[in-house]
Amino acid sequence: MPKGFFTDTTVCIGCKACEVACKQWNQLPEDGLFFSGMSYDNSVQLGASTWRHVAFIERPVPLSGQDNGSFSWLMMSDVCKHCRRAGCLEACPTGAIIRTEFDTVYVQPDICNGCGYCVAACPFGVVDREPKDGRAWKCTLCYDRLKGDLEPACAKACPTDSILFGEVADMQQKARRRLHELHERGVVEAYLYGMDAESQPGTEGLNAFFLLVDRPEVYNLPPNPTVPTKKVRESWRSAALASLGLLAAAIGAVWSSR
Amino acid sequence: MTPSVDEPTYYDRPALKEPVWIWSVPAYFYAGGLAGAAMTLGLAAQIAGGSRLRRFAERCRWIGALGGGLGSILLIADLGRPERFLYMLRVFRPTSPMSIGSWVLATATPLSAGSALLTRASGFRRILGNWFGIQAGILGLPLATYTGVLLSNTAVPVWQQARRELPLLFGASAAASLASLLELLPSNASERHVAARLGLVSRGSELVAARLVERAVTRVPGVGQALITGAAGALWTTSAILTAASLVLSLAPVSFRGKRSLTGAMGTLAGLALRFAVFQAGRASARDPRATFRSQRAGL
Repeated sequence: MPKGFFTDTTVCIGCKACEVACKQWNQLPEDGLFFSGMSYDNSVQLGASTWRHVAFIERPVPLSGQDNGSFSWLMMSDVCKHCRRAGCLEACPTGAIIRTEFDTVYVQPDICNGCGYCVAACPFGVVDREPKDGRAWKCTLCYDRLKGDLEPACAKACPTDSILFGEVADMQQKARRRLHELHERGVVEAYLYGMDAESQPGTEGLNAFFLLVDRPEVYNLPPNPTVPTKKVRESWRSAALASLGLLAAAIGAVWSSR
Repeated sequence: MTPSVDEPTYYDRPALKEPVWIWSVPAYFYAGGLAGAAMTLGLAAQIAGGSRLRRFAERCRWIGALGGGLGSILLIADLGRPERFLYMLRVFRPTSPMSIGSWVLATATPLSAGSALLTRASGFRRILGNWFGIQAGILGLPLATYTGVLLSNTAVPVWQQARRELPLLFGASAAASLASLLELLPSNASERHVAARLGLVSRGSELVAARLVERAVTRVPGVGQALITGAAGALWTTSAILTAASLVLSLAPVSFRGKRSLTGAMGTLAGLALRFAVFQAGRASARDPRATFRSQRAGL
């Protein structure tokens, strides 16, 4: 059964318990002490050693349903989206990146040879090559915990249930219910990002999707991500045309010298 | 910093990861493209050149083999785990241009080497050599052009937006790089003639394809900057000027000692500059979140 996350950003309190739990469970190296100046966000981005990242936006815009004047907090725990059409997986030349029995996308560290193609192919900028280790790393959706019937470390640690884990169909149902509830309460900005193929055809939907209250770009999410393979046919066609041209030029050059 | 209401970004942070490839990848684009074109020209000389161009066919086959070998080394040097380079041939994945390219490179290179070694043989060994030459010559075509597809098959806006044009550019540039290398080598009259004709067609095509790439990446405001400005822009312009100069010089009705070498040297530098320009443009493009968002909003 497909498993995934539904991250409801409206109940995220920015505690970063998910980031810490992820680091602990997956024994990820530290990223160093660094002051970014970007609100409370010092981990800055997802990367080879940061598989959950909490974004903080101090927004000079009011949010419906809140009584905060012309200010609102946006906090969002970002993660690998485990796309149904995954750019990283389709680009991987070694077969290191696989789709698991839980329908999640997993990089096998014993196979990855660090070619870096997945890094450029991910439309979300998630997967990265660890410079010291040489291999590509990203969220495994706690493949090991799932094998043991445990929920992923981040979802387990989340104190407000902003991160929900379960079967994708259940998550979708929960998300729709939550969206309806928020709309009823007047939070008209709320919408679901990447929940299904209909709302995000480029990826055919995400197994880790989000409830957001501002445009995707505000959270550093792409507005219309597309797995590169969907567009590459035209490129192959051009390569075939270029090949014919090259062959004609080669034969023509030889012929004309007779 | 407050997010701009019109065109928000997350503190101007990149939305994508910058490609992690090092200099050896664009260097491979040059070497591998040149090798592919050489294998194909070797095949053309084999089937249409007769005995007069047999030595030339052998030279092309060697360029193909050495270019493919050097290209393989350059690619392995870029791997995060170079000792696992053979894992490239662990599976065949048609959705991955890198997988297809690895298989093409790994088959075409030894075939080209085999055909080169057997060029001067006779009897069955010669037939075998020609058979290798045919296969290498056919595989040379995807080898010279797939790198354009490889770059297009990424999330990088400037590469993705030029997905129809990049294979044309890389194919033309592969032939131009080969013609330039041949011009740098001592040759007889008919060999010189072949190189000159190939140079003429390929340099012209390269200049046209480069304009097409420029048009494709500037369709969305702000995306094309990555190719036209900065280090990439300088390399891109240098490449165009050198290609045009080599084309004009090869056509100029003047003759002086070293004219051929000068043409070849300019063409070679142009080919290298072109690959590094496209590569640098991709890195700059991935760093620019607005380019990513605009390109997607435009549906390209």
